[in-house]
Amino acid sequence: MVRAMEQYLRPGIPTTPFCPGCGHGILLGLILRAIHGLDIDMREMLFVSGIGCAAWIPSPHFNADTLHTTHGRAIAFATGAKLYNPKLRVMVISGDGDLFSIGGNHLIHAARRDIDLKVICANNMIYGMTGGQVASTTPRGFTTSTTPLGNPDRPFDLCKLVEAAGGRYVARYSVTQPLALMESIKKALFLEGFSFIEVLSPCVPQFGSKNLMESAPKIIEWLMEKCIPREKAEGLSREELNGKIITGEWGDV
Amino acid sequence: MSKAVQVRFGGFGGQGIVLAGLLLGRAASFDSKFVAGSNSYGAQARGSACRSEVIISEDPIDFPHVTIPDILVVMSQRAYELFSRQLARGGLIFYDSQFISPRRRRGVVEVSATGMALQDIGDKRVANVILLAAVVATTGIVSQEALLRAIDESVKDRHLEFNKKAAALGFGYKGVLP
Amino acid sequence: MAWKRIKASLPPGRHYFSGNEAVAEGAISAGCRFYAGYPITPSSEIMERMAHRLGQTGGVFVQMEDELSSISAVTGASWAGAKAMTATSGPGFSLMMEGIGYAAFTETPCVIVDIQRAGPSTGQATRVGSGDIMQAKWGSHGDYQIIVLSPWSVQEMYEQTIQAFNLAERYRVPTFLMGEEAVGHLRENLEIEPWVRVFDRKKATGRPPFEAKSPRQIPPMPSFGEGERLLVTGSTHDGLGIRRTDDPKVHARLIERINDKILLNKPTIVDVDGFFLDDARVAVLCYGFTARSSLSAVKGLREEGYRVGFMRLKTLWPFPHENVGELSERVERIFVPEMNRGQVGGEAMKSSQCEIISFCQTNGEVIRPEVIRKELMRLL
Repeated sequence: MVRAMEQYLRPGIPTTPFCPGCGHGILLGLILRAIHGLDIDMREMLFVSGIGCAAWIPSPHFNADTLHTTHGRAIAFATGAKLYNPKLRVMVISGDGDLFSIGGNHLIHAARRDIDLKVICANNMIYGMTGGQVASTTPRGFTTSTTPLGNPDRPFDLCKLVEAAGGRYVARYSVTQPLALMESIKKALFLEGFSFIEVLSPCVPQFGSKNLMESAPKIIEWLMEKCIPREKAEGLSREELNGKIITGEWGDV
Repeated sequence: MSKAVQVRFGGFGGQGIVLAGLLLGRAASFDSKFVAGSNSYGAQARGSACRSEVIISEDPIDFPHVTIPDILVVMSQRAYELFSRQLARGGLIFYDSQFISPRRRRGVVEVSATGMALQDIGDKRVANVILLAAVVATTGIVSQEALLRAIDESVKDRHLEFNKKAAALGFGYKGVLP
Repeated sequence: MAWKRIKASLPPGRHYFSGNEAVAEGAISAGCRFYAGYPITPSSEIMERMAHRLGQTGGVFVQMEDELSSISAVTGASWAGAKAMTATSGPGFSLMMEGIGYAAFTETPCVIVDIQRAGPSTGQATRVGSGDIMQAKWGSHGDYQIIVLSPWSVQEMYEQTIQAFNLAERYRVPTFLMGEEAVGHLRENLEIEPWVRVFDRKKATGRPPFEAKSPRQIPPMPSFGEGERLLVTGSTHDGLGIRRTDDPKVHARLIERINDKILLNKPTIVDVDGFFLDDARVAVLCYGFTARSSLSAVKGLREEGYRVGFMRLKTLWPFPHENVGELSERVERIFVPEMNRGQVGGEAMKSSQCEIISFCQTNGEVIRPEVIRKELMRLL
C-alpha cells in the first residue's frame, strides 16, 4: 500500500513542512487514498490552493497539476480553469482563514453557481502560519495572539454557510474520523456539482498551545470528545449539544 | 461636401437623442464618410439633459468631438437655450415645435416631430426619427437610403416598422431653408 | 514560429463601432475565448459584448463577484489553455492589482483592459481621466514588468487589443490596453481586414516552464490537463515551479529574468508614431485620446508655419525612453499634455536631454485642441 501511494507524490519532494501533531498530513494521505480508491488518473486532476498551511497540502506534494494562488482567491482561480476546461477534475484545498475570511465571498458565489469544484477546507480554527491570530472559525472564548482575553465573537458554521449558499454536497469530519472522512472525499470526487468538506485538523503550536492543549494527544482527545456524529446528535438535547461539533453529511448524500 | 459637418443633438433622456446620433453616424458610415460620434454619458437614464454629437467628413477626423456645430437638432427648451448660442456662421437649428419656442428667427427650421409622431403614428417615441429624417431630407448630410439602412441595423425588429414609417414622414417634411 | 493567420471576427470592410465594442471584436479576432469580469462604468460595454460574442463563438463568459476574482479566474483559465481577458475601470483596476502581480510573477499571458475614468476612488465615474498610467506599471508590490498599450481611436481599440493578446502570448506577460472613457465611448469607422495575424503561446513537453536559456527567451508554457504535472505558484520558485522562498540566488535570478525578458525585447515591443518632427523646435509628446487633440492643434499650427512636431506613444510600458531621448536631442522643448498630474511627463524627464513642460488637466473632461494650441503658442 505504501509503495502504491508513492505514485501520487511528486518525485524529489522529500518531506512535508507540517509541524509535529498537525492534522494536515493525515488529510493529505486521506485525499490521495480516496483518489487511489477511485482509481483516478492524477493527470486529470488540478489542485488549487490559496495561502496558509493547508494550501501546502497539494503544492508541491501532489504529483498532478497544482496551482498555488494568492490569499483567498483559490476558488476564483479554480473557477476560471474549470469553466475553460471542464475535463479537468478540480479540487480546492485550503484553510479556514483562506476560504472563509479573505475568500468567503468567492466561496459562497462558487457554491451558488454550482461550479463542479471539490472544496476541502482544513479547519484548524486559527491562523497558523502567521502566528496564531483569531480566525472566523475560532470558538468563542478561546485565546489567540489577537484575542488575549478570549475570542469575543461567534465562529462561522462553515457547513451551514455553504449549504445555504447552494452547496450540492456538504460534509464535516475531523481527521480523528479518518475512514468516514476518506469516504466523504470519495463521494465529493464522485458527485457532480459544488462539493464542500470541512475537515477539523489540530494545530498544536498555535491553537493548542494557547488553549491548554500543548501536545498532539491532548488536542486530538479534545477533538474526539467534541465531535459527535449527526445521527447521534439527533437524539440529544440542546444542552447536551452545547459546545459539540456535529459531523456528517448534508445536501445530496 | 468639402469640410467636416458637425451635428449636435440635444434634449432630455428618453427622447432618443443618443439613438438619433447613432443612426446619423451609422448612415454616414454607410455613405463611406469618415464619422466620429459621441454622446453625453451619465448615471441617470431618463429625464436628464442629454446630448449627442456626430462629425461627418470626407477626410480622417483628427479631434473627434464637436467644436462648433453646423447643425443643431433640439428637442427641449433647455437644450435649445444651452446650445443655440454656440453655432457656426450659417448654421441651422432644427427644433421640435412641441417643446420649443425659439427666440431667434434666422436659421431655424420648425419640425412638428412629436406632434406628427402622436398624430400620425400614435407613439411619441419616434419623434427623434421624424426629426432626424427631416434634417436629412433638408440638408442631405447623408443619403435617405443610408438612414433607412441604419434604422434597419440599429432598431429592434419589433420597433422597425413604425420607425421606418417615422422616417418616411420626416423625409416628406422637407423644411424650408431660411 | 507560433504566428498564424486567422479570419477576423467581423466581415471585412467599414463598420461603425464604439471603442468598447471594438475591444470586444479585437479580442474575439485574436482568439480570446475566456472572459471574466465585474460590471463597472465606463467599461461595461466590453463585457456585455463579450457575453454576447463568446456565446456565439463557443467561448466561456463568467460574471464574477468582484474584480479580485475576475483577474484570478482569468489567470486560472489562461493556465487551462485559454486566451483570456478582463476589462475594468477605476476602483476595479485597483482591486485587480493583487492578481496582476500574481500573473506577472507566474508569467501568465492575459489581457487587462482599463477604460480610465477620473479618480481617485469613485471620483467621477462617468468622466474621463488617464490617471492609471503609473498604477498599471507599479500597482502591485515588488519588481516586475508588464506591457501597456495606449489606443487613440476606435480603430486602435480593435487593433491594439489584438496586439495586446499577441504580446501577452509571446512574452508570457500581463498586457494592458489603457483606453480612456472618451475613446471607449467614441464611435468611429472601424475598418476590418479579412485576416488577422495572431501569436499563440509556445508549448513544449518536459521542459521547465519557468526557466529560459537566455534572458531574452521566453520559457514554453504547457496547460493544465496535458500531463505535465505543473507546479504554478506565486511564491518564489525555481525553473520547475518548486517553491524556493529562502534562497536569495533563486529569487534574484527569477526577478531579473521576468524583468529582462521584457526590457531586453523592448525594440520589438515598443511602438511610437511621429509627424512633423524634422525641423520642429517644440514637440508635443502625447498618448491616448489627448493625442487626437494634440494632432489637431499641431496641424493647425503647422499650417500657420510654426515649427511644432508631434510624437505619440502607442506603447507606454516598457516606457519608450530611447525614443524620447532621441527626440529631446532634436528639439528645444517637449510639451506633454495629460489628463493626470504629469505621469508620463515625469517619466519622460528620466531620459530627456531638453526641458519637459507638463500640462495637466484633471477636471474630468478631455483636453481640447484649442487649449493645447494656446499652451503651445506660449512656447513657440
